[in-house]
Amino acid sequence: MWQLFRKTPMWRPRPFRDRYDVVIIGGGVHGLATAYYLGRAGVRDVCVLEKSYLGSGASGRNTAIIRSNYRTPEGVSFYDESVKLYERLAADLGYNLLFSQQGHLTLAHTDSAINGLRVRAEVNQLMGVESRLIWPEEIQRLVPALDLSPRPRYPVLAALYHPPGGIIRHDAVVWAYARGADRMGIAIHPFTEAVGIGTSNGQVTSVLTSRGEIRAGVVVNATAGFCSTVAKMVGLHLPIVTHPLQAFVTEPLKPFLDKVIVSATLHVYVSQTDRGELVIGSEIDPYSSYSSRSTLPFLEATAAHTLELFPCLRRVRVLRQWAGICDMTPDYSPILGEVPGLKGFILDVGWGTYGFKAGPVAGKRIAELIATGRTPELIKPFSLTRFYDDTLVGEKAAAAVSH
Amino acid sequence: MDDQPLLGGALRTRLGRVDGPGGLAGLAGWEAARRLAAEVEGEPRIQRLQTATAFGVYEGLLLGVMQGRRLYRVRPRQLIVATGAFEHPLVFQGNDLPGVFLGTGLQRLITLDGVRPGRAAVVVTNADHGWAVAQDLLAVGVEVAAVAEARPELPPAAEALAAAGVKCFAGATIHDARGRRHVEGALLVRLDAGGDPVAGSERLIACDLIAVSTTPEPAGALLAQADGRLGYDPALDAVVPQALASSVHAAGAVTGLSDLGFALLGGRLAGLEAASALGLGGGEASRMATLRAEVEAHRARLRRGLRVRQLTSVPSVGRKRFVCLCEDVTEKDLADAVREGFDHLETLKRYTTVTMGPCQGKMCHLPAIGVTARLTGRGMAETGTTTARPPVQPVPLGVLAGPHHEPVRRTPLHARHAALGATWMDMGAWKRPLLYTSVEAEVRAVREAVGVIDVSTLGKLEVVGREAAAFLEWIHPGRVADLAVGRIRYRVMCDDAGIILDDGTTARLGEDRFFVTTGTGSLEAVGQWLEWWLAGTGRCVHVADVTSAYAAVNLAGPKCREVLARLTDLDLSPGAFPYMAVREALVGGVPALLLRIGFVGELGYEIHAPAEYGAWLWDLLLDAGREHVIRPFGVEAQRVLRLEKLHLIPGHDTDALSNPLEADMAWAVKLDKPDFIGRRLLEAARARGLRQRLVGFELLDGVVPGEGDAVVADGRPIGRVTSSKWSPTLGRGIGMAWIPPELAQEGVEIRIRSAGRLTRGRVVVRPFYDPDGARLKS
Repeated sequence: MWQLFRKTPMWRPRPFRDRYDVVIIGGGVHGLATAYYLGRAGVRDVCVLEKSYLGSGASGRNTAIIRSNYRTPEGVSFYDESVKLYERLAADLGYNLLFSQQGHLTLAHTDSAINGLRVRAEVNQLMGVESRLIWPEEIQRLVPALDLSPRPRYPVLAALYHPPGGIIRHDAVVWAYARGADRMGIAIHPFTEAVGIGTSNGQVTSVLTSRGEIRAGVVVNATAGFCSTVAKMVGLHLPIVTHPLQAFVTEPLKPFLDKVIVSATLHVYVSQTDRGELVIGSEIDPYSSYSSRSTLPFLEATAAHTLELFPCLRRVRVLRQWAGICDMTPDYSPILGEVPGLKGFILDVGWGTYGFKAGPVAGKRIAELIATGRTPELIKPFSLTRFYDDTLVGEKAAAAVSH
Repeated sequence: MDDQPLLGGALRTRLGRVDGPGGLAGLAGWEAARRLAAEVEGEPRIQRLQTATAFGVYEGLLLGVMQGRRLYRVRPRQLIVATGAFEHPLVFQGNDLPGVFLGTGLQRLITLDGVRPGRAAVVVTNADHGWAVAQDLLAVGVEVAAVAEARPELPPAAEALAAAGVKCFAGATIHDARGRRHVEGALLVRLDAGGDPVAGSERLIACDLIAVSTTPEPAGALLAQADGRLGYDPALDAVVPQALASSVHAAGAVTGLSDLGFALLGGRLAGLEAASALGLGGGEASRMATLRAEVEAHRARLRRGLRVRQLTSVPSVGRKRFVCLCEDVTEKDLADAVREGFDHLETLKRYTTVTMGPCQGKMCHLPAIGVTARLTGRGMAETGTTTARPPVQPVPLGVLAGPHHEPVRRTPLHARHAALGATWMDMGAWKRPLLYTSVEAEVRAVREAVGVIDVSTLGKLEVVGREAAAFLEWIHPGRVADLAVGRIRYRVMCDDAGIILDDGTTARLGEDRFFVTTGTGSLEAVGQWLEWWLAGTGRCVHVADVTSAYAAVNLAGPKCREVLARLTDLDLSPGAFPYMAVREALVGGVPALLLRIGFVGELGYEIHAPAEYGAWLWDLLLDAGREHVIRPFGVEAQRVLRLEKLHLIPGHDTDALSNPLEADMAWAVKLDKPDFIGRRLLEAARARGLRQRLVGFELLDGVVPGEGDAVVADGRPIGRVTSSKWSPTLGRGIGMAWIPPELAQEGVEIRIRSAGRLTRGRVVVRPFYDPDGARLKS
């Protein structure tokens, strides 16, 4: 009984060694999940480097929406595995992640948007993912607070309803993966910045960090926001443009919204956390930048769009706003796997605005790649070479707002 | 701008006499505040914004200011921040009991609200201000049962209170608040040099009010947002501004020192520095230097006189020792979290939610740092602070949103459509008639007689200049430069990845003058695209958006030439005005641009006339067409008509992966011409072969699938339907779909999943209607 209440550190400081089999750069959900699944596969001479505190980047700045109602078969199978991993994750990691599969609604305000949603519904259903078009009457039953009258400038005409979608406590996922990795002996080094990567004869040999050099044969780039700068350490230019993405939370309210609401036309998505706060985000800012500073025009526009959907929130107050930075690829899909011509350098990058959803599956499959030396089928469509041989994955077509 | 209804800040809430400079000495705090406020109010060149909260500083010194339901955006050239300081609660058992107040809160109750806040008070402090609070309580008839001063020596202000019979304890503070539903007593305890309670020194004092008055913490969030640096200063026991951005000044308690004389002096310096930075005088350099020296001397004097004892909590146990009163986070919660490894302030904050409540950490920021520092054995400075994110004060969504400004664009013919009872649809920002009567009737009118549709929403650009032809040639994969004056060419435009962005027509009105139309929703994107490729090139090309200058209608159908002939002297014979030609002429007395093109697949004229005459022209056309039973037709009928011709609509039938080769528009791509945008990828696409194709299909089972439905094979999606309509002309369902190239041959059967059931279609690659364009060219 005493054991239950004893407080032990989630992850422990471990000695900083100058050699590991695998070095993972990035202590967010992707890096830590990769470490955890590597440990599960028996690869335990691993360390995770994080330049700040764990989860300080995109993992702690996203709006924690989980879904798999993507448009391409490749995207659907990939994210569906992630949703399934998330469903079991709290049990696997022995940690309450507050995963609420409350359902996810993507609203359509124009006839062409309805068509886009129908494409997704069809692909989803054929891939065995629960997802269907619903009409105002059913939308109103699911979300009584939503304004479905003809009053708004762009009235709601239909929605794609995706029951397995939902929200999760993002920080908890990061911490739980860190604990899981730590328990298997994997070293987690926060406040340790990777500043250079050594290579020799087309093979990665080391990582230079703010605390000294580490020799390693495998280096995983699991960074977000700065993945292209890390890739440049090995002279690799990624087809990535970095944009800020902003969000805000309101003061806590009594529970009134138990669905994730997304509107591409209005560039807004809204959900209510277990604490009662509304988490509201937008699409990426239209300019490229590495700045994580938030802006007033975003706040004004997103507030206006939120009130188009929920006029009842007029008096609800905004508590905090923040920004994250997103690595956008030309086809709005990630870059996963090995790099031709450079052995041992593994990419888990280009996560744009959809990285958190994929943390478990990316971690698991990247770990599988490292442990077995073979690229899993599931992540093959997302290889870097698709930009050389023009076999892009078509998620951009569905990703005006990709939450 | 000030968030209070009256100027004067915290001084307005003080009853005690100030020892400020000059004429203020000896006045009560609130009187001094009134005097100072009057000086500002008497200066007509100072604009005041009261009850206005500056809630955030954004990039480029942009201030967000909320006043009631109004939002101001202010971009000052110089910013002076004088936001004062907050007291913060102490952490002790029972610190959430009703009756526990902050000293400044009590002063507000007394001075601003005229409330006597209790009968008997215990004042707990570690700063001089606590003694002023005790004085104010006495002054309104509250019995002060005791003052517990955490610092080892009583300050001079204690003398007067001791003389009034108040028990004053040095080196003591509160251990816990007693009482069930309200404060009934305070257990005081002596502290040893290390800050631990001295066993046996407890003393219970009966009271119904506990005033906690601590070292003020500067309200420096705006300074931090304005690129300043804040850090913990042990000499002041506060997080204070340590460096300010240029153009930003700070004065008063926000700098970390609360003293009226210093505030006045610092305020004067900040004002003069701001004025001089703006070139508005501000005094000679020598005078400024003197003033600066004076401020520094004053600051040094105050710092020398400071007696500080850091105090966040008395080490003890108990379940009701709240650090964050908004979020109910106790000291024990923090201790547990630190033991679980959340020993960094940022992770601790996320784990426990300390500082994340509605007060946004104003109350608990410093206590959280203090408790964390003690739990982790790190110093206050090393423990650090959290990011001061905007907004500094919670702002209602309604204030941020303001009144609704999402524009609706209406064509010059809007009222005519409304009078005809049109059903509306949104297309981009526009409202367009979807339907007037029935699709069948509207389609039949166009196919058999004549119809007219409002196409004013088409984007219209005039591209003018010596290099206009060369520029358009480079922007488009098709040819433009060899287009003869008076002729039109269909245009498709691609991005640099060879993806279809938009289509429309290019009409050459003169050697250097082109009239370019775009899709309804893509005007902004196309305009920006052209400007993007022009920017910085110095090309002699001007792009003017003339969309709203023109009303436009498409008059189409076998009888349309006869209708139009009634309204114009222009020779409309096919020889004089052939298909794909453009003419300028008077139509019904109105100067108009006529484009002979045919999206709907019939003989047709697109007539552009000045917007002011749009309704006049519409009436004339309907009148002239009466004999042929002319019918207005809407977007729905237009979509059926164009589908019968297999004319695609970019964005509807194409997406972010569609190139013109695969969209069956290879004829619009001229890879044998010099470089153009998208060339490289289109060449690559041609070399590797097509991976999908956009084709027409007709339905074999009578079910018309939804647009977006999947084309399937063996239960997997292999393509998708982009358009799908019932064709009254053909008497069957038709559509367009993306399918694998091996299936893209006339007559191949495909399966479409619609509403969960499979339906059969047959691929059609030539237009259903008038495949050779004989009617178009007639």
